[in-house]
Amino acid sequence: MTKMTVDWQRVDEVIARWAPKGRAGLLPCLEEVQEITGWLSPEVSRRVAAGLKVPLADVFGVITFYSLLYERPVGRVIVRVCDDVSCFVNGSQEVVQACRTYLGIEPGETTPDGMFTLETHPCLGRCERAPFLMVNDEEYGPVRGEDVPRILDAWKERVRSE
Amino acid sequence: MAEPVLLRRVGHVDPTRLEDYLAWGGFEALRRALLRRPESIVDEVKASGLVGRGGAAFPTGVKWEAVARESRTPKYVVCNADESEPGTFKDRVLMEGDPFVLVEAMAIAGHAVGAEEGYIYVRGEYTRAYERIKNAVEEATRAGFLGDHILDSDVSFHVHVYRGAGAYVCGEETALFESIEGKRGQPRQKPPFPTTHGLFGRPTVINNVETLANIPPIVLHGPEWFRSLGPEDAPGPKLYSVSGAVNAPGVYEAPMSVTLRELIEEYAGGVRNGGRVQAVLVGGAAGTFLGPKELDVPMSFSGLRKVGAALGSGAVMVIDEQVDMWEVLLRLARFFAHESCGKCYPCQLGTQRQLEIVRRMASGRIRYQDILRLRDIQATMADASICGLGQTAGNAILSGLRVMGLDVS
Amino acid sequence: MHVIIDGQRVPVTEGMTILEAAEQVGIHIPRLCYHQSLTPAAICRLCVVEWEGARTLVPACVARVQDGAVIHTESERVRRARRTILELLASTVDLSEAPDLLAYAAELNADLDRFADGARREFPVYDDNPFYIRDYNKCVLCQRCVQACGNDMQFTYALTVSGRGFYSRIDTFYHAPMPETTCVFCGNCVAVCPTGALKEKGPFPSPQSPVPNARPSEP
Repeated sequence: MTKMTVDWQRVDEVIARWAPKGRAGLLPCLEEVQEITGWLSPEVSRRVAAGLKVPLADVFGVITFYSLLYERPVGRVIVRVCDDVSCFVNGSQEVVQACRTYLGIEPGETTPDGMFTLETHPCLGRCERAPFLMVNDEEYGPVRGEDVPRILDAWKERVRSE
Repeated sequence: MAEPVLLRRVGHVDPTRLEDYLAWGGFEALRRALLRRPESIVDEVKASGLVGRGGAAFPTGVKWEAVARESRTPKYVVCNADESEPGTFKDRVLMEGDPFVLVEAMAIAGHAVGAEEGYIYVRGEYTRAYERIKNAVEEATRAGFLGDHILDSDVSFHVHVYRGAGAYVCGEETALFESIEGKRGQPRQKPPFPTTHGLFGRPTVINNVETLANIPPIVLHGPEWFRSLGPEDAPGPKLYSVSGAVNAPGVYEAPMSVTLRELIEEYAGGVRNGGRVQAVLVGGAAGTFLGPKELDVPMSFSGLRKVGAALGSGAVMVIDEQVDMWEVLLRLARFFAHESCGKCYPCQLGTQRQLEIVRRMASGRIRYQDILRLRDIQATMADASICGLGQTAGNAILSGLRVMGLDVS
Repeated sequence: MHVIIDGQRVPVTEGMTILEAAEQVGIHIPRLCYHQSLTPAAICRLCVVEWEGARTLVPACVARVQDGAVIHTESERVRRARRTILELLASTVDLSEAPDLLAYAAELNADLDRFADGARREFPVYDDNPFYIRDYNKCVLCQRCVQACGNDMQFTYALTVSGRGFYSRIDTFYHAPMPETTCVFCGNCVAVCPTGALKEKGPFPSPQSPVPNARPSEP
């Protein structure tokens, strides 16, 4: 996968901002740092732990607890398909299938080029727009299987032009 | 239908503009509250009969009174905006459509109980709601409705906005505190209760988004007005999230005398494609299935309790006859296994085994032993789990099997 | 002040737990994660008892006495919960070196094969330092080791729980071997492990390690 160099200056700025809160700043700090680095590597986590004065093991325990924090590399684009009750009732299975077909990976996996990670997700709370899809922070719903290629093509373009 | 209270501004104001909120009567309740003694506000909330709208239905005024009486400081007001119960999206709609009402409600709460700091913990996947809430806090602070000496009074109240990071269990109040404190979101043993040992071990009021949205109207119009909206034992407006196999899924405001049938047929446009109800899941994954003959139940806490169900978050998910119920049960079982925090044995182990058994049954192999095992798992989780997640994790499965015609008694 | 436990009137003092009160009159309440030198965590739920008037069962290790409370330590509801917990546990990890648990299970008529068709938590044995091995096939996630390494004894914080739910596990920072962590090899974690998941290495067999040397394993 494409190795991304870490923008340490930005990371250190975030850590410095949360350091006064100590442990109570850990969750927001990890969230903001991950927005910069994409995932939370041992090196990045060590920096956060030192800055906020939280034991290393505890930082790892926290990261691995939360679904939106990643202790392993993930794609630049995270595709989250809701496959919970109301979305299922409204046809989420075909959306999941369309994503699997388009990306060529199973939920939980990342494409070999490091661009996309696919996840099925518990209820995302947009049941009135079922079936629902989130791609990074953007929302799509109601979605049909046939919409998926168009949506993900646009994201491919977007990432390429960055 | 009567004039909405909670949804009054939703869809009619620009939720990013303080001016719009003010034009619609915003912060008038806070203005009045600041001129009153804190005890009188607590009394008013008690008298209104408002109970928590997050699922636990605890009397809000009683909670506020307990914290107001605590002498240890600092105290905190926390808004539980971690809405993650499947089928529930009312808080999201409120936060996206009327974020300033939360800010106002929390400042009133702070004054009433003697807290100077508040936290709003927004579910991590609710990006737009988080942005709008953050903006509302910033705008309100800039305009003097939050911060030191609110509206030139002696009252100070600062709000911090936190984002969750993808854990349903963090909607449990003590797990939410752990999360803000920078730890794994594992619930704490209760007692002690948040009113004495909450966030950072301090006296804390923690309320759901919808609960708080009721506070400014109560302060403006009084408890008698509030009590007039709904049946005697279930006062106040209620938001219902209706979704699934219906023509018009959405958030609907109604008094709690409304029946499930009315919600489905009159509010949500009826079952899609002219179909028929197979089952309705009330209260989310933590809730209970009702069958097609049980739709005339009033959607109040006591009304549903009488038929062995619970209102919970007010989520209504309609399953029509087109849907394979096994696929639904599978998703519910998978949900709990995925979301169990892993601390206490009944839930950590029970949700996994429940999923495995449901998976096997869904593939066509149903043995009587499986029913017995599921019952023991459900009873053990209900009786011995630390928190509401484990305590409710077996209810939807067992009630779903019952509606499907299996004997689970 | 008094409580009534299994029909017996037990004089108690403020702040006492149900577990302590029961011990006073020779009533042994089954327990797993409880350790007298650690903060009770109320994790295993084996010690739950029925407290008349309470909606759920109550963990005796943390519940404090209240004057006049009526407690039942062996009601059907209690026994069902304990039995099921042990049945679930037995299908998940290796309890062969936890004789207390096996004794409880026998007394409750637990069927330890009841959930044998379920997934187990399985690990390679970690033999990464000269002092102790970690065999998490026997780990019941009582979290005693994490407590001992942290706030309750050593303040070294080399251990954590990672993951969530059924697949939680005791872990180090990014699964680092013990010598690469803050571990000082004090042995407190080994001393408190109830199931033999943590075992001393060394030339002499100890009660926790029936073989002189740990068997070789993958890292």
